[in-house]
Amino acid sequence: MSGGVLRAMIRFENVTKVYEQNARPALDSVSLEINRGEFTFLVGASGSGKSTFLRLILKEDKASAGSVYVAGQNVANISSWRVPKLRRGIGVVFQDFRLLPQKNVFANVAFAMQVIGKSRSIIRETVPEVLKTVGLEGKERRMPHELSGGEQQRVAIARAVVNRPGILLADEPTGNLDPITSMGIMGVLDKINQNGTTVVMATHDDDIVNEMRRRVVELKNGKVIRDEAKALYTSMIPVVGESRRLRDASGEELDRAQGAQL
Amino acid sequence: MRLLFILGEIGSGLRRNLSMVISVVLVTFVSLTFVGAAGMLQMQINQMKGYWYDKVQVAVFLCNDGSTAVGCASGPATKEQQENLQAMLESPAVKQYINDFQFESQAEAYKHFKEQFSNSPIVDSVSEDQLPASFRINMKNPEKYQIISETFSSQPGVETVSDQRQVLERIFSWMNGASVAAVGVAAVMIFCAVLLITTTIRLSAFSRRRETGIMRLVGASKTVIQLPFILEGVIAAVVGAVLASVTLWLMAHFWLNGDLSRQFLNTPFISSTQVLVIAPVLIALGAGLAGISSLLTLRRYLKV
Ligand SMILES: Nc1ncnc2c1ncn2[C@@H]1O[C@H](COP(=O)(O)OP(=O)(O)OP(=O)(O)O)[C@@H](O)[C@H]1O
Ligand SMILES: [Mg+2]
Repeated sequence: MSGGVLRAMIRFENVTKVYEQNARPALDSVSLEINRGEFTFLVGASGSGKSTFLRLILKEDKASAGSVYVAGQNVANISSWRVPKLRRGIGVVFQDFRLLPQKNVFANVAFAMQVIGKSRSIIRETVPEVLKTVGLEGKERRMPHELSGGEQQRVAIARAVVNRPGILLADEPTGNLDPITSMGIMGVLDKINQNGTTVVMATHDDDIVNEMRRRVVELKNGKVIRDEAKALYTSMIPVVGESRRLRDASGEELDRAQGAQL
Repeated sequence: MRLLFILGEIGSGLRRNLSMVISVVLVTFVSLTFVGAAGMLQMQINQMKGYWYDKVQVAVFLCNDGSTAVGCASGPATKEQQENLQAMLESPAVKQYINDFQFESQAEAYKHFKEQFSNSPIVDSVSEDQLPASFRINMKNPEKYQIISETFSSQPGVETVSDQRQVLERIFSWMNGASVAAVGVAAVMIFCAVLLITTTIRLSAFSRRRETGIMRLVGASKTVIQLPFILEGVIAAVVGAVLASVTLWLMAHFWLNGDLSRQFLNTPFISSTQVLVIAPVLIALGAGLAGISSLLTLRRYLKV
């Protein structure tokens, strides 16, 4: 294995995913590398294949063609009884939080440790630490319905990272939140990324992408049409008339954002 | 920790689906009771065979006052006729087929009758001379009954020759029929039990899909995800099996060894301890059925 493969936390090699025979592929020959410790935004219109991309990393679905490597391992070669081990190395956060409504904050996070057999003492030690990381100290005993959306998403993030996965996948984590709360969530994800976790986030939230200035991978009809470091939500590269118009719009937007910062 | 977790999950699953769990318990209880009853009947048949087969006799009944058989036209058997029969039994031609024989006089017959029906009003309506005297013959080989029958039935003073084994065979075949019927009912009930367990597990998996979805995402093993559901079904079925075992034991203890054995004094009933042999079989059967049907259901309805 070359050094490049080891550096790549996630690698797609000509990955195609076809859900229904006659429909166009959800992913169409996608080749992509995401390095250890990187923060990557996955953008694109609805149905462009962002969630499919994330699902293939989790081995929730099987690629129709091509190979997906996670931490150097081809997921196609992982037997079904070792898939749980793969998933322990990957945290996931969704737009709809997916908390257990009858468990309090502490129990929701602890659940992720209990089910993989962590000891009670380790759980008691780790959960408060993680809750502090996501900014929820003192809210351990709250029930999910007693929390705001932003706080619920923080609990979900705590649960996703409590077992210290190398990768965090976030599928529109700010989709249900207002801009300010979203920024708070991004702060948490950024902090987790600073600690060395590779983060891949699918989003429609242009403000966030423009604010964070990280790598942006744009999908369209299942194809990668842009892969840019420290990029904006929409392309700066003028290709066709349509893009120019969008660029102007985003340029304005950028100015507005910068103006607001000043 | 994982064990505690699994136990907790089982507890919450049982509580959440209480009514379904209760119906699984009841259906397995009833079906396994029938299975166990069939087993008890078979045990009872074997017990009776072992007890009776070396005791059963061919009886040569002599004519009495009320006899209507052709051979009894001349009235009750005389002393000479009786001695003649005894001589025949002692002759080498007959002796080779029999172990021994006894003469049961009318007085003895009456005494046995009174013993056997001690708590029945029928005793008062029967008098000594209504019962026939008889020779009780122990056969070397009960299959040779035909020879004795042919030799004695045409003798003067003989009313009839009867083979008690035939009576027993009739009882046994009746009991066999009953146990086949019990197995039939059990099969239908077991089918119901399997369907019910399947539905219960499916509902349970559905009502906990949030939890199992999260468990899957954080990398819980297949065992940790599935075991609570499987054990939920198995526990319900085992409770049903235990109830069935207790019921059968109570039946053996209070009915077979109580009322029935008082009514049928010289019938050897199986003891309630013998019935306990059936209990582990029922429990294993219940647990196995529930385990397999839950596992197959989960394969289809619980993604892991
Ligand atoms: N389970 C499925 N069965 C069939 N088709 C599917 C399935 N999941 C997704 N698709 C199709 O695959 C394509 C890509 O879907 P995907 O969910 O990856 O898009 P997305 O980029 O996440 O969209 P959104 O931004 O709306 O979440 C769509 O055309 C969708 O209809
Ligand atoms: Mg999506």
